[in-house]
Amino acid sequence: MIIDINFIGLIIASIMASAVPLILASCGELITERSGVLNLGVEGMMIIGAISGFALMTVTGSLIIAIFGAMLAGVLISSIFAFLTQTLITNHVATGLALTIFGIGISAMIGKNFVGIPGKEFPILFESLKDTIPLIGPILFGHSIVFYFAFALPFMTNYFLKKTKIGLIVRAVGDSPVSASNQGIKVRLVRYLCILYGGAMSGLAGAYLSMIYTPQWIENMTGGRGWIALALVVFSTWNPIKILIGAMIFGGLTIIQFHMQAIGVRIPVQFLTALPYIVTIIVLVVISRDSRKIRLSTPSSLGKSFHKDN
Amino acid sequence: MNTNLKISNVTKIYPGCVANDNVSLEFNSGKIYALLGENGAGKSTLVKILSGVIIPDEGEIYLNKNNLKLNSPLDAKKNDIGMVFQHFNLFETLSVFENLIIDSDEQRESLREKIDSIMKKYNFSIDLDIPVLNLSAGQKQKVEIIRCLIRNPKVLIMDEPTSVLTEQETSELFLSLKKFSEEGILIIYITHKLKEVMQLCDEVAVMRRGKLVSVSEIKNENIESLANKMVGQNLKTIKKKKAKTSSDQLIKITNLNFTSEDPFETNLMDINFSVNRGECLGIAGISGNGQSELFQVLSGEIISDKNCIEFNNNYIGDLNPQERREYLMAFSPEDRLEQAAIPQMKIFENVALNNFKSSNFFNNGLINENKIKEHSKKIISDFNVNTDNIELKSQFLSGGNLQKLIIGRELITSPDLLICFNPTWGLDVGAINYIHETLIKINEQNKSIILISTDTDELLKLSDKISVIHKGKLSKIMNAEEVTSEKLGILMGGAN
Repeated sequence: MIIDINFIGLIIASIMASAVPLILASCGELITERSGVLNLGVEGMMIIGAISGFALMTVTGSLIIAIFGAMLAGVLISSIFAFLTQTLITNHVATGLALTIFGIGISAMIGKNFVGIPGKEFPILFESLKDTIPLIGPILFGHSIVFYFAFALPFMTNYFLKKTKIGLIVRAVGDSPVSASNQGIKVRLVRYLCILYGGAMSGLAGAYLSMIYTPQWIENMTGGRGWIALALVVFSTWNPIKILIGAMIFGGLTIIQFHMQAIGVRIPVQFLTALPYIVTIIVLVVISRDSRKIRLSTPSSLGKSFHKDN
Repeated sequence: MNTNLKISNVTKIYPGCVANDNVSLEFNSGKIYALLGENGAGKSTLVKILSGVIIPDEGEIYLNKNNLKLNSPLDAKKNDIGMVFQHFNLFETLSVFENLIIDSDEQRESLREKIDSIMKKYNFSIDLDIPVLNLSAGQKQKVEIIRCLIRNPKVLIMDEPTSVLTEQETSELFLSLKKFSEEGILIIYITHKLKEVMQLCDEVAVMRRGKLVSVSEIKNENIESLANKMVGQNLKTIKKKKAKTSSDQLIKITNLNFTSEDPFETNLMDINFSVNRGECLGIAGISGNGQSELFQVLSGEIISDKNCIEFNNNYIGDLNPQERREYLMAFSPEDRLEQAAIPQMKIFENVALNNFKSSNFFNNGLINENKIKEHSKKIISDFNVNTDNIELKSQFLSGGNLQKLIIGRELITSPDLLICFNPTWGLDVGAINYIHETLIKINEQNKSIILISTDTDELLKLSDKISVIHKGKLSKIMNAEEVTSEKLGILMGGAN
């Protein structure tokens, strides 16, 4: 069997493409969690993003409106979560779960009219460069703008958290909201913004799925990616670079197990399907096992409500 | 330049309690002021008002004749009022430098220079790039102080700053505070420790139940006069009668060793002692020398060799705390809210936790609530716990009331031996007095006490025999009359 070197390049590119929604949603959720808020509604926000993007694209015909509309939809649905948990001080876990159930339900309802409609082609960048360099060409070139944004995002997130003042404030709020408040930081405002940002990124991740990755609307099309994104945040110990690694492993194994099933490897299908979940978690646990580092990067106030007058 | 801070007719009312009742005070720079009062006297509320954390219902604050509107901590900072809180306001997982830069508008490099010059000036040495959680309590406090100094404050408020410090760290702090004062910073020092007021301050304002009771110069006061003002009644000076020498041995520890797997714990080496009936054995030492391990071994949280502990002619070294209670031992651990009581549970539920055999708290696995409540009410009235609501969550009890509740819960079963660890830690004078009286009463009833404490005065007051623990080893056991606090100090430092 002769393996075309460009074919390997294409496989790697498809792995990266499948990692994109995970990276986007995880990096968004990471900021939310770093501020001390545990939003389990990622799956719901993602699917709202997916249907909003697809619906807006079909109705308006504008990809730009669709992409930003999906992000806005993510912001809107996360603002429900923000209002409930930050203003009405509800429990983060319960509210997040409700958000996911709500998102899946409402997206199925809106989506009824969009089932079976073909998507539009999304413009890709640097297509002409794809064949100029073997192996590297197909990996680097010929992708959508969202793809490039997703792979820059972990590094930007890292820079934001470690090097900027606002990033420091986000970490401080997540570490001790009481101290932050006593220092004159507006804890609730910071948390609101972090939740809305997480919503926007989840919305974008959903839009990527329904507009670029598989350009069509299928009910429940996020298929648990929101939960994987949540797991990546925790198992990466709130480190954006490790999220990138985790998302790549997960995407890689998902793609490879498809190919293995296609070739007809004699391993039970159930095991192959479960493989990405198991291996990703094992790898992330192994690379983040330093308990001191876990203590330092875990937001101490994660999931705890903050009352101003105490 | 002189700084003048004036508090005028400040009132703050909470539902069911007047925290500050028409308080007026005036401070001038160059002096160190003490704000003295028991827990709940309203001093913390007052300084929180000064630092913008709490907004008063009525009253004005003037700094150099300017009327200040302090609606948030930011306003206090802008007006050059710095505050070091009792519970540190630091971000544990951020580095020291990140903690300092977060509320500063300066550039990284210039701030670093500024911090370095402050540290040099006051002889602080702290690594700026390690996370705060790796610092000792004293170092954390210095970080808080540096945070205030960066802003060149006119006023520096210290809220109970020594409650987490060692003796050494306390004297360092006092030196720094005196230096700040000489440089013209107005210092307000909040405490309930009378000794510190006498040692450090120039003027003292005493608060009681939200009201300002007196303002006077330190040179006109002494410890007794201040204590009386603070409590509002003449405190009896408690003195222990010399115990009848009894030779009836109650508990005997032989060759007890404990090796911990945790590198932060202390190993116990070759512990031997015995306590007779009606006797109080005091164990002194600087904290972290094995006291908490010793307490856990004695209470059964750590199981040891069966034969190491002989109690009332039974070998009980391998029993857990519940089983030891059946043999009439009782325990009062150091950390009231973490070890002794469960903060989120109601008073009567906490009482039920000490479920001794004869209690009948539970019938066939069901909770006998009436019985427990009746029992709880008895504890509350017998031991002077200042509440009549046994449904109150125990986290809302003051330290003194909680300690009384815990001691009461332990004593109502009339145990033969009470083992307590720092029973008056962080309490106010009134509560300390009450606990001390109770402990003396126990001895008078021919029951015994093992008192592990870091407070030397307390040990000398209550113990019949004293030993010192240092690096997991006990010194020889001495008669309390032969011991002075100087001698204890030397032994605590590790000398022979």
